Amino acid sequence: MISVSGLTKRFEMDGGASVLALSPVTHHIPEGAFVSIVGPSGCGKSTFLRLVAGLEEASDGTITLDTGATRRPVGFVFQDAVLLPWKTVRDNIRFPLDTAGAKKSEGNKRVQELIDLVGLTGFEDALPKQLSGGMRQRAAIARALADDPPILLMDEPFSAVDLLTRETLNDELLKIWKATGKTILLVTHSVEEAAYLGSDIMVMSPRPGRLKKTYSVDLPYPRTPETKALPGYHALVSDLRSDLRETE
Amino acid sequence: MLKRGIAGLFLILALWGGGVFLFDVPEYLLPGPGTVFDRLGFLYANAGLLGHVQVTLVEIFWGFVFGLLAGVVCAVIFARIPVTERLATPLILLLQTAPKIAIAPLLLLWLGLGPAPKIVLIAIVTFFPVMTGMLSGLRFVNKSFLDLAQVLKLTAWQRFVHIELPASLPTLFAGATVATTLAMTAAVIGELMGSNEGMGYLLSMGQENADTATVIGMVLLLSLTGWLFYEVAEYLRRRMEARFSDV
Repeated sequence: MISVSGLTKRFEMDGGASVLALSPVTHHIPEGAFVSIVGPSGCGKSTFLRLVAGLEEASDGTITLDTGATRRPVGFVFQDAVLLPWKTVRDNIRFPLDTAGAKKSEGNKRVQELIDLVGLTGFEDALPKQLSGGMRQRAAIARALADDPPILLMDEPFSAVDLLTRETLNDELLKIWKATGKTILLVTHSVEEAAYLGSDIMVMSPRPGRLKKTYSVDLPYPRTPETKALPGYHALVSDLRSDLRETE
Repeated sequence: MLKRGIAGLFLILALWGGGVFLFDVPEYLLPGPGTVFDRLGFLYANAGLLGHVQVTLVEIFWGFVFGLLAGVVCAVIFARIPVTERLATPLILLLQTAPKIAIAPLLLLWLGLGPAPKIVLIAIVTFFPVMTGMLSGLRFVNKSFLDLAQVLKLTAWQRFVHIELPASLPTLFAGATVATTLAMTAAVIGELMGSNEGMGYLLSMGQENADTATVIGMVLLLSLTGWLFYEVAEYLRRRMEARFSDV
């Protein structure tokens, strides 16, 4: 689904110096995978995601998205919800459809499904500022799914919400993944979140940002709070933790 | 705010009337409020006061609309193509720093005594605060909104209508609010310089006839109009801020 080869990103600084944000990454992500990308600050995990989204231009290397002729291959969920403050929840969610010229009736039906899917029923006409952080993030996820992109990219989507909400949203995200079959890339700095969600994990390390290690997670789905009691989960979390410690 | 403003207005009227009465100020220097209101009534009945008020309001309306449109369009062009701003800045600054009272005769020479030179002068003074307000709004659009536009592959037009324009409305209206008071002044300057209708025309007639009551009446009427105009703009600005500012 996503193949990157020798993908490199260098940021040019004033005065001609440049910082290597991502040293060559070559990796393949299969269709339908849920990839957690975990690493400390400055490891290039967000840069990697933004490169895949086309928000940054690669300094070198290639990215191939196997998505056919889809006009918008990726949906993106930002760290802050980035809902347009002057649009209602409904209008924010249908924004990708409206700007792609979808029929009004088609959009209405789709948006109602999404609102139900992310559990925002009853808040359709609220403005973003009237919602809690968690609800804003739900709306942002619904928006990213609106025009049904095959790939969903999420940049630390739950880092700004409280722990309890975060766990609820994690479970809901897994449900959405199962229901839609999307390929999901989720950046996080939490090893627990990475282990709990991912079918695959990319561990990245800083200075310079690089892909350090990959894991294929064999914890069974559906994952539930019981998953967190499995020995395999604890072993994985502790492996990830020591990977991150080595990068310090 | 408005209520306190009105209370202040009544206080001024009371002080004015009281002062004229107590110190026995001669009519030709400072007539009392009663005399001035009588004079306004006379002008209403005999000199078509409402027609003159309407002339000035229409000038302000069109001048403001043209200035607003020009300001918004220029800001968009400047934001899109930065070199145009550097090219246009000297001309804009020249136009802004030249005293309006000095530009007015030129406009009258070119455009005659009708409403045209007033409308142009009003548009010139409206343009600058609107343009700077819009431009700063466009420059400080939340970067994440632009990322969203890119992920959604919005066209330049879609990005403008759905993101850049709404995000700029609070600062655009802040500029427009400043412009209202400037627009009033420009209208009066234009009419004083040469016209045969409008509130400024009545004002200059009053001056020529040493008719203090008419002059004061016109000053009051102009102030009230400007104040009303400002309050409307300020109300809209607050609405825009509540609805469109990024929280």
